[in-house]
Amino acid sequence: MDSVAIFCTGALLACGFYWFFWILGPAEQKGKRAVDLSGGSISAEKVQDNYKQYWSFFRSPKEIEKAEKVPDFVDTFYNLVTDIYEWGWGQSFHFSPSIRGKSHRDATRLHEEMAVDLIGAKVGDRILDVGCGVGGPMRAIAAHSRANVVGITINEYQVNRARQHNKKACLDSLCEVVCGNFLQMSFADNSFDGAYSIEATCHAPKLEEVYAEIFRVLKPGSLYVSYEWVTTDKYRADNPEHVEIIQGIERGDALPGLRSYSDIAETARKVGFEIVKERDLAKPPALPWWTRLKMGRIAYWRNHILVTVLAALGIAPKGTVDVHEMLFKTADYLTRGGDTGIFTPMHMVLCRKPDSPPSSSPADY
Amino acid sequence: MRLLTHNMLSSNVKGVTNGFPLGIEVEKVVEKQVELSADFLINIFSKIEWKALVDASRAVGYAELPDQADASMLDSDEFLRKFHHALLELHLEEGALLCPETGRRFPVNKGIPNMLLHEDEV
Repeated sequence: MDSVAIFCTGALLACGFYWFFWILGPAEQKGKRAVDLSGGSISAEKVQDNYKQYWSFFRSPKEIEKAEKVPDFVDTFYNLVTDIYEWGWGQSFHFSPSIRGKSHRDATRLHEEMAVDLIGAKVGDRILDVGCGVGGPMRAIAAHSRANVVGITINEYQVNRARQHNKKACLDSLCEVVCGNFLQMSFADNSFDGAYSIEATCHAPKLEEVYAEIFRVLKPGSLYVSYEWVTTDKYRADNPEHVEIIQGIERGDALPGLRSYSDIAETARKVGFEIVKERDLAKPPALPWWTRLKMGRIAYWRNHILVTVLAALGIAPKGTVDVHEMLFKTADYLTRGGDTGIFTPMHMVLCRKPDSPPSSSPADY
Repeated sequence: MRLLTHNMLSSNVKGVTNGFPLGIEVEKVVEKQVELSADFLINIFSKIEWKALVDASRAVGYAELPDQADASMLDSDEFLRKFHHALLELHLEEGALLCPETGRRFPVNKGIPNMLLHEDEV
């Protein structure tokens, strides 16, 4: 081959690599770039250590004695994964049923908008997002309903990312973020007109504690909707494969212990909620939520190569590769959970805080 | 952090009986103009703790709100403008929120209040 042909081939290959790694790589065009991957609030040199500590803590989730340590480790988890999630998945850290003919982004947005339609949020309402991540759902919901949304998350890094995204989306007039623990929320009783949590309460060691807090801060008569991560009626605790899948999911997602679908309504009633509606949104006619994970196999390998190269060059913190690999393995467990039907990330429960008993007069307040 | 949000926050430190409203320590306040929505203001008026809003707005340097307010005042454009400004356009960017009983400081950085409790406060 002559030198012109070699040059052209080389240039084409280079463009191909650039397109494959750099353009296809990030989940969003103007989102997180691979060279900006960090360990959240954890400094680069400490990422690997933090990852090792996280991994050893969640090794046997059901035997976690130090439940009070869980919030710290959930915080660590999100420091480690937030950038990778944003880069590889997008700003909404949750699943959605696939919709034929619609992109993942649109399917995600519709899933989020349904949550707020269920609680009937409207202009002038103050809505609470329990476990808001970097605010993907918050922005979609505020834009759709024009209600005021306040998000709470335990992770400082996510709070800052959320705020930046809110500003960029020009939604910071409707959205606000507070750094806090949803097990001990700093909101006054009866302050919100509605609340939702999308795949976040699974991080609470005791579901009752977070439900009780949400109940407390809601106004009487208001609605709360939650999309819960649970095992379904197909799950068998005596089936070793089932147990392996569920433990794999728990370990790789900072979950102190997945609950059974039957626990959800029971817990909600225990803290005082009335159940308005309850349904597994993953059941047919919904299309599988895990196809997005399966289709992402090539993407994972590409991203894995990219992250390995960047870590070797010292651009991404050491330990990013371990974290990325953990997430890759976890994706496999999640897929198996979906395929076997033993796990769903979208068991929807719509709850209502009963109206105040007639004896308490609002005028006394 | 807008005063709309401040109006909902309270101190939940162990042992505190009434943690509302939180005091405000100001280091930096920013004004950000936002389109006025009368619908929003009318809807939200009844949900606002008025005295807490007046005190908070004075703490961040805005003294135009009347000490008391009732729903009939929402007919006045002038009142709506002041209400809107105090509630939505004044941002505490840097400073702290203070527990009224214990004085505990909840820092506010880049407009975000950090309400996480320490282990001994839970």
